[in-house]
Amino acid sequence: MFTYRLELTNSCFGSFFPHLGRGLPLRHEGSTKPSKPFDFFGSECVDLALVVAAFVLAEIDQAWDRPGQDPPYLMVHYEPSSKQGAVTMSEFPISFTLEFPYTRTPGPVIGRFLTGLRDGRILGIRSGDRILCPPMEFDPDTCETLALDFVDVGPSGTVENWTWIAEPTSKHPIQEPFAFALVKLDGADTVMTHAVKASGPEAISTGMRVTAQFREERVGAVTDVYFVPEADAEKQSIEPGEGEVEITTHTISLPYTDTLYPHSARFAQGLLDGKFIGQRTRDGTVSFPGKGYDALARVVLTEADDVELPPVGTVLSYTTIAPIQYKGQTETEPYLTAIIILDGAGQTLTPQDIRNIPTDEFRVGMRLRAVFKPAAERDIDNVDNDWMYPSIGNVVDHWESSGEPDCPLDELPESV
Amino acid sequence: MAERCAVIGIGQTDFKTRLDLSMDGLVRWAALEALEDAGLTFDDIDAVVIGKAPDALEGVIMPELSLCDALGAIGKPIHRVHTAGSVGGSTAVSASTMIESGMYNTVLTVAYEKLSDGNFMWALSGGRSGGAGAGGSFAPWIRNYIRRSGAPDDIGCKVAAKDRRNGAKNPHSHVSQADLTPEVVAESPMIWDPIHFLEVCPSSDGAAAMVMTNAEGAKRSIQKPAWVISHAKRTEFGVFPGRDPVIPVAGMECARALYKKAGITDPRRQIDCAELYVPFSWFEPMWLETHLIAQPGEGWKMVETGATEIGGDFPVNMSGGVICSNPIGATGMLRLLEPVNQVRGTAGDYQVEGAKVALGQAFGGPNNYFAMWIVSSEPDPDFS
Repeated sequence: MFTYRLELTNSCFGSFFPHLGRGLPLRHEGSTKPSKPFDFFGSECVDLALVVAAFVLAEIDQAWDRPGQDPPYLMVHYEPSSKQGAVTMSEFPISFTLEFPYTRTPGPVIGRFLTGLRDGRILGIRSGDRILCPPMEFDPDTCETLALDFVDVGPSGTVENWTWIAEPTSKHPIQEPFAFALVKLDGADTVMTHAVKASGPEAISTGMRVTAQFREERVGAVTDVYFVPEADAEKQSIEPGEGEVEITTHTISLPYTDTLYPHSARFAQGLLDGKFIGQRTRDGTVSFPGKGYDALARVVLTEADDVELPPVGTVLSYTTIAPIQYKGQTETEPYLTAIIILDGAGQTLTPQDIRNIPTDEFRVGMRLRAVFKPAAERDIDNVDNDWMYPSIGNVVDHWESSGEPDCPLDELPESV
Repeated sequence: MAERCAVIGIGQTDFKTRLDLSMDGLVRWAALEALEDAGLTFDDIDAVVIGKAPDALEGVIMPELSLCDALGAIGKPIHRVHTAGSVGGSTAVSASTMIESGMYNTVLTVAYEKLSDGNFMWALSGGRSGGAGAGGSFAPWIRNYIRRSGAPDDIGCKVAAKDRRNGAKNPHSHVSQADLTPEVVAESPMIWDPIHFLEVCPSSDGAAAMVMTNAEGAKRSIQKPAWVISHAKRTEFGVFPGRDPVIPVAGMECARALYKKAGITDPRRQIDCAELYVPFSWFEPMWLETHLIAQPGEGWKMVETGATEIGGDFPVNMSGGVICSNPIGATGMLRLLEPVNQVRGTAGDYQVEGAKVALGQAFGGPNNYFAMWIVSSEPDPDFS
């Protein structure tokens, strides 16, 4: 289970490169953190906490819908807790919000169910001699495809069990304390998990009768409806909408905080100081940024293994990106990114933006020097433990020719 | 291994965007087709192995649990595999090991992606994520392949034109262009220099499925069995000092292990055709070298001479490959499924005449996960 979740972390970040190669375990051996924003299962691994949070959010996603969302994009934005000055462990964590709007094609069964909710009806489906609500595409006993034989159920039902949500988050379907309850609707043989508005936990009990109330604005989502005690229900007259619900939108957003590991904090401090701090691995090559461990020798690296690299390197390859104009695109003109290997480093930087050297003058083998921003303008907002590279672009103003002759092509390392 | 493994049923969906189906309906489509192909039902299946790429692509977490009824897995073991883009390949390989181990007699394996649910914009460069995107990340490596091998600039265009033309013979293709020429590819916009627009895979929906069984099951099969001769998976770190992502060591070692187990000493001669995971055209010559089919620096020559065309001496991506359809999780499985199609002789318009031994390969991540297998119409093919 942990393996699976850790992989989810990678994809949440959209950070393909260091993660996928890193393998398990992802425990960052030898690292400790003074503050732990999450502490699931006694783990010190923030990654794990993150994915548990993602898992919870995804569950919320099942029951939550936002109409009129922007078309999809992947966005990570940052609320820095530390812009300037010395990086100490206590100044982190840094807060992030990861957001991604998804769409769903609910298919012939759930689509009909959602259409029903929009139209003020709750539909179950016939499965043998039972009525399932919410309906399912396949018989949960035999896996056979169910015929599209829908039956109106409710709008009242019986609470089979419940839990009280004393402090709803902005993601909950009701923005005041409420109950999540298993409601068996009249006419149905199975229960539906849904929200019940009640004045307090003393006002809800197993066996109590509740009635569906439809919201004013309905979009074909499970949140078009909620439940109230039967006695509190108001008579509603619902005007059916048009067409079937064939596609729905769902935004997952995940706020989280990340506390830097010691080697990450030293790397971040280096950037603020205008220095590139890597770590020497056991075979003598330098990993930049350092990982806190030697991936090949499988040993922990400490401050004693830190190495400062010169801000000078060689272009190993590059590409010119013609930005595709999708919603959320921030680039409008073609731009050049280069893969640079710093002198003394054993591995390359991820593509660095080159905006000041014309494409027709750019070439593999060029010697470039990083020109840092003024100290007051350097920020490390987007340093996180897993993906430290992008922060280089936040401290380096630009790359310029070092004035040295090109590196001969046959002397370039093969690591691209 | 205790048992031999044979593929006796295959199924795949069309790979265009599917707004009519739920995710459940999509995987079930492929699963039912594979079962029908094998002449079996869910009742005959002992275990299900499912694979897909990151859950974040659709935002449905742990889908293997919510899909168990769609896959007939209620009351049976279901296993989930995940190795980034190579996952469809490693899922099929994992399923075959479950047969070989003797643990199960008949296994259903399924892989899928429904990319339209997530509108896969994070594969593109820039935007709010500020990332390099898939193309932006691979393009510099391709540039270095070209520099190191001395390949002519139009090799990628030739691969893309071949794959899109092949794809026009495959009724499942998402994108295909029956008359595409390298010249037209070269005239398409340069998106990630040196990658042109027409050298890039699409973003597809789809599922693929296979039914595997042991030698006893194969005897009863209504289909001609495709025997799994050997398989291999290899992994390396994505970033480490001294790594060569253009010709990754893991890719070479995966091929070495695969050929050794099969008894293959001259892959280009002893293998009749291959499906390779080529999401950007230039990966074809890169993989031909990585997987030891071509000599170092010479993969592009196989493209230039037409060896990788259907009718050439080593056809590659007869189905149109990833350049025509890329439902990511399913893509790797399709690379292993299409060789089955070939050695059974059921590949229709893109059949390689007389194919007896075929190679399937999938890769994932930044060129650091590999899954490969070799299948044959014969349980013990003679490679002499």
